[in-house]
Amino acid sequence: MRPPAESIGNLAVIVGAIALLIFVAVEGALVYVVWRYRASRTTTPALFEGHTRLEIAWTAIPALTLVVVFALMLGTLGEIGAALEPGMRVRAVGHQWWWEFTYGDVVTANEMHIPVGTAVEVDLLSADVNHSFWVPELGGKIDMIPGQTNHVRLLARRAGVYEGQCAEFCGVEHAWMRIRVVAEPADEFARWLAAQAAPAAAAATDGERVFMANTCVSCHAIRGTPATGRAGPDLTHVGARATIGAGVLPQGVADLREWLADPQRYKPGSLMPRVPLSGADLDAVAAYLAALR
Amino acid sequence: MTAVPLWVLRPGGSRAAGWLRTVDHKEIGVLYIGMGAAFFILGGLESLVIRAQLATPEAHLVDPELYDQLFTVHGVTMILLAVVPLLVGFANYLVPLMIGAPDVAYPRLNALSFWLSLVGGIVLYFSWIAGGAPDAGWFSYPPLAGRSFAPSPGVDYYILGLAVNGAGTIIGAINLTATILLMRAPGLRVSRLPLFVWMVLVTSILILGAYPALSAALVMLFVDRQLGGHFFDPTASGQPLLWQHLFWFFGHPEVYIMILPVMGMVSEIIPVFSAKPIFGYRFVAASSVAIAFLSFGVWAHHMFAVGLSAFETFFFAASSMLIAVPTGVKIFNWIATMVGGRIRLATPMLFAIGFIAMFIIGGLTGVSLAVVPLDLETTDTYFVVAHLHYVLFGGTMLGFFAGVYYWFPKMTGRLLSERLGRWHFWTTFVGLNVTFLPMHWVGIQGMARRMWTYAADTGWGPWNFVESLGAALLAVSMLVFAANLVRSIRAGAIAGDDPWDGFTLEWATTSPPPPENFRSLPAVTGRRPLWDAKHPDRRDAA
Repeated sequence: MRPPAESIGNLAVIVGAIALLIFVAVEGALVYVVWRYRASRTTTPALFEGHTRLEIAWTAIPALTLVVVFALMLGTLGEIGAALEPGMRVRAVGHQWWWEFTYGDVVTANEMHIPVGTAVEVDLLSADVNHSFWVPELGGKIDMIPGQTNHVRLLARRAGVYEGQCAEFCGVEHAWMRIRVVAEPADEFARWLAAQAAPAAAAATDGERVFMANTCVSCHAIRGTPATGRAGPDLTHVGARATIGAGVLPQGVADLREWLADPQRYKPGSLMPRVPLSGADLDAVAAYLAALR
Repeated sequence: MTAVPLWVLRPGGSRAAGWLRTVDHKEIGVLYIGMGAAFFILGGLESLVIRAQLATPEAHLVDPELYDQLFTVHGVTMILLAVVPLLVGFANYLVPLMIGAPDVAYPRLNALSFWLSLVGGIVLYFSWIAGGAPDAGWFSYPPLAGRSFAPSPGVDYYILGLAVNGAGTIIGAINLTATILLMRAPGLRVSRLPLFVWMVLVTSILILGAYPALSAALVMLFVDRQLGGHFFDPTASGQPLLWQHLFWFFGHPEVYIMILPVMGMVSEIIPVFSAKPIFGYRFVAASSVAIAFLSFGVWAHHMFAVGLSAFETFFFAASSMLIAVPTGVKIFNWIATMVGGRIRLATPMLFAIGFIAMFIIGGLTGVSLAVVPLDLETTDTYFVVAHLHYVLFGGTMLGFFAGVYYWFPKMTGRLLSERLGRWHFWTTFVGLNVTFLPMHWVGIQGMARRMWTYAADTGWGPWNFVESLGAALLAVSMLVFAANLVRSIRAGAIAGDDPWDGFTLEWATTSPPPPENFRSLPAVTGRRPLWDAKHPDRRDAA
């Protein structure tokens, strides 16, 4: 199995080489002709005004080149479409301006984990407007369009973090709609999925009490607690994710506190409002969320 | 022959009243060019704010709401309110002169089309002070452009402005088509038409085919937003993709509407400055017809990522590649025209050569976007932003500047300064490459279009900074151009009737031409009537 990004990369090299060749030939001809026939070198201009066989040649040769490019394209499309037997399915839903990833019953957000070497079929949906799911190093982008389900197949050959970005303009915070795909060995992935499947450990801290007593719960879910909101990202294991706000801030108690104190400062236009909490409450909620691992 | 300011030629009334009621094609042409120039300045200023915001990562110079309005209005402005009026203005001014006619077929209708186009632009810009400019991108995809997600009136101003502007453009296209078909001088057969006129004819027919699709889509969006319709509403069985099909059925021919007239300009300029007839006249003309025909069958290459069927994907990939063939034919013919010529590198020719050089880049990246797997990586990224600016700035604008330097003497009686012209050319040429070349790279690396900012850890900062420096250089180049225009209109060298040793009929009359255009016309027996009149010993074959 060859990862789609590799097939695309190979095609890009071939098509790029053909384009570069044409570029050098045509620009070279242009520059040479301008230099060769400049007024200071020529006295009487020639008067020919056409040559049918030449016209046929420079119609036919580009057309044949494009037939070759088209054939190469078909080959690559076949490779991407047929060669991958999906070993796993993930549902991805685009929201203004974050990503929801569902593995069976497990719901998480903004950070998608996949096992290395397994083709993953991603079902792409939208909860509101058009989005586009794109992780450049894993393959081409496919749009998420409300009312239909699209599909893309991902395959990572190497473990690591692959950065992506919403690619279809989707409103004010289109920019801060980043994707992190973490590709890890199968056993690590299995551990991650098992950990994600577990409900949040009971904390009984001040932070939890403040969270449950405020409007946080109307938008966010934390499995194992009374918080069941669906409008915003699921926070059951938010502390295990590497970033906050779909990539706007790094994870950590200090950054979580900054974010909670004023989300609009970091992600203006975000649908998360500024919840008026005291300094002590902010500290407590930040500590509570960071501990949800 | 002295330079006569345009307003001297008009009988009676104040200058302003004269401009308001004129039905003279040359004055309407100048009005169109003035409108295009004014909106070009506005669109340019918008782009400078965009480049300032993106010069550094995570900047807060503008907030995302303003940023979205800026790029939306920048796109709409440059395409529909700057480039199209500039080109229609030149067509208006030049077509009757080049075909030896006293005016266009319907002079009053001509005035109506200009004023509708202008009012459409004003309606769009009125949104800035009436609750916010449109902010859903120039192609305003629903549901984002629907009322639920764009509740401010910006998109409504977009709909009304574009509908009114489009009506003006459609009426103008009918007028130019009728003029070219019905008002040619005796002997000026269609097979002898100057290539600029050919391209205007093809462009007009494209407008007649493409703009109504936009008008219909705009009405449907208006019904959705204001009358509770559901054409594009997925929550009520509407189909968001229908908008994309309708919009790009207009949007892709629109690209050719913006490039074909410029190809026509270049096809006039290169032969004159090579002192040779165009190479392969019939092929240059026929390739335009082929482009026009094919351009109605390529629209879904803007939509490869929406989940098309395999058949649709193959069809639109093939047709989009095919359209490169007639485009290439033109480039080869222009180069062949120069072979064996005596090339004068005056400013119009410099810009024409620059046009070819840059358009090749835009054309090649365009073919790569027809290769579906590559498109899926590059579409909706800065790679596409780079591609479209190589076509529309490197192509359309460089070719347009060639036309300005070439015909300014005919319109004003004075030549533009060659010295400033060279400064203008080289600052533009360097500026556009510094601005747009790095965008290919950041696009491939993952920078999507229309992001109001980007994270510092992406590493795109340095490239974006370079792009913004290029934009500043482009601003300087436009100031040089403006200085050249202002200085030359007052004190440029007197041009005379025929400063470039031209081939076509517009050079057979005074500069500027009298209201009736011609006092006498040379006999037309070939494609270069003025050349034949000047060189009776070396006439073209009839």
